[in-house]
Amino acid sequence: MADHLSTARVQRWVHGFTDAVEERGEYLTDLDRRSGDGDFGTNMTTALRRARRALAEADTRAGAGSAFQVLGETFLGHSGGTSGPLFGMWFRDFGKVGAGSGAFSLPMLAEASANGWATVTRLGSARVGDRTMVDAIAPASRALDEAAEAGSPLAEALEAAAAAAHEGAEGTSGLLGRRGRTSYVGEAALGSPDPGAVTIALFYRAAREALDA
Amino acid sequence: MRRQFINDPGEVVSEALEGFAAAWPRHVRWNSEPGYLVRASPARDKVALVSGGGSGHEPLHAGFVGAGMLDAAVPGAVFASPTAVQIREASLAAHTGRGVLHVVKNYTGDVLNFRIAGELLADEGVASDIVLVDDDLATDTAEGPGRRGTAAVVAVEKVCGAAAEEGADLAALAALGRRVVAGSRTLSVALAAGAHPGQSRPSFDLPDGEVEFGVGIHGERARERRAFAPTRELVPQLVSPLVEALELGRGERVITIVNGLGATTDLELYGVFREVRRLLAEAGVEPARALVGSYVTSLDMAGCSVTLVRADEEVLRLWDAPAATPALTW
Repeated sequence: MADHLSTARVQRWVHGFTDAVEERGEYLTDLDRRSGDGDFGTNMTTALRRARRALAEADTRAGAGSAFQVLGETFLGHSGGTSGPLFGMWFRDFGKVGAGSGAFSLPMLAEASANGWATVTRLGSARVGDRTMVDAIAPASRALDEAAEAGSPLAEALEAAAAAAHEGAEGTSGLLGRRGRTSYVGEAALGSPDPGAVTIALFYRAAREALDA
Repeated sequence: MRRQFINDPGEVVSEALEGFAAAWPRHVRWNSEPGYLVRASPARDKVALVSGGGSGHEPLHAGFVGAGMLDAAVPGAVFASPTAVQIREASLAAHTGRGVLHVVKNYTGDVLNFRIAGELLADEGVASDIVLVDDDLATDTAEGPGRRGTAAVVAVEKVCGAAAEEGADLAALAALGRRVVAGSRTLSVALAAGAHPGQSRPSFDLPDGEVEFGVGIHGERARERRAFAPTRELVPQLVSPLVEALELGRGERVITIVNGLGATTDLELYGVFREVRRLLAEAGVEPARALVGSYVTSLDMAGCSVTLVRADEEVLRLWDAPAATPALTW
């Protein structure tokens, strides 16, 4: 199995992620209805569809990061609200790390995750436990870091990151929101996970699957 | 049932901006993609002053693009932040090599997208800073996102705009803007809510005998309803808390902004200013300058806001400096 995600595999990653979010669009919107204003799934799929069109026109063979650069620019250019721009900056960090390289290695993925985590924390002022996308990003980033340090195979590392992100996302069901719109509804959101965290879990799962494809 | 001049609710903002640019060809240019206004005659060798935010507050911010005030304005959809890419592109278009100052009203979406734009600009090697405007006394609570930004933004754009024309650098402009913000507080009262484009109902209903006290500029309800009353009884409820919050002492000078929220006539607003002036005189505060009219609106909300801006010699001089924009010229 490959020990890196080539530009072609990154394309599969991005498309697999887009498919996964589209499939769960209604579920994500429903989650947002419980905790926010109920437009998360729609906003996300609209932005991703636009990104898919932009990807079709862009030269994404330039480097492993270019698909993420397109994704980032699309989200920052067309997505209103607050989660859209934060996802834009998240993708942008993957675009930056991958720029100029032919593939993502495990240390590069760990670096991009860590940078993205720092960016989202800085701009969104959210920490672990605030019931946001950070609750999925943090455990996944830690898993990638540990795997990179241990020199684990990429497949194992991505499996660990995807599982950690999923667990982190599910764990938001029991958390009270402190940032964003969810902070206004308080306990009413308990019992369902944060849609942003769920989306991050889909992102890492798609990376793992792109390796097999 | 309320009627509006409208084709399609989704096109209201872009159609208005197209019309706005066509009406002021010597002042502004409109770039529909990604969506920003710049001066028709770009300034040279000065810090670029850029502001923006949701639409529905006209003439803010588009009306203040021009000599002496903004270099660019970035409109979002009605009551929604512009995107970070819009802000970046507007800033790059206005940039003359001396950095960009963003004047941002304190709302979560605006703050986030302007902060992101600042990071995007840094990657392009362009220095920028943010002056956050948070003058709304009604939202002065310890918890939450802090005071909202409302009509004091006009004073910041006017004063910083004049200083930028004089050649002030980015750090000095940011410090000046923060000083104006620190000395500004606003309180607003609504007599009737506004209606979103395409909607026939206002965003809330008010009984005949009540006013919504402490409203913002997004059509939302306020924390409190009070009794409707003559101007002479309503205006003190706005002015006294402002004087107290700013700890204005006898002999101090202020710029007063009496601002209509969209559907209130100048006839009424000047009546309001007359009361403000009387109350300031009683408090020994000198109403050194006044701006009366509808500048920061909330669609067609009926009501007004009163803003007091502490003014020293420098602020007054910059306030008096020439401006030539669609909404403010002297």
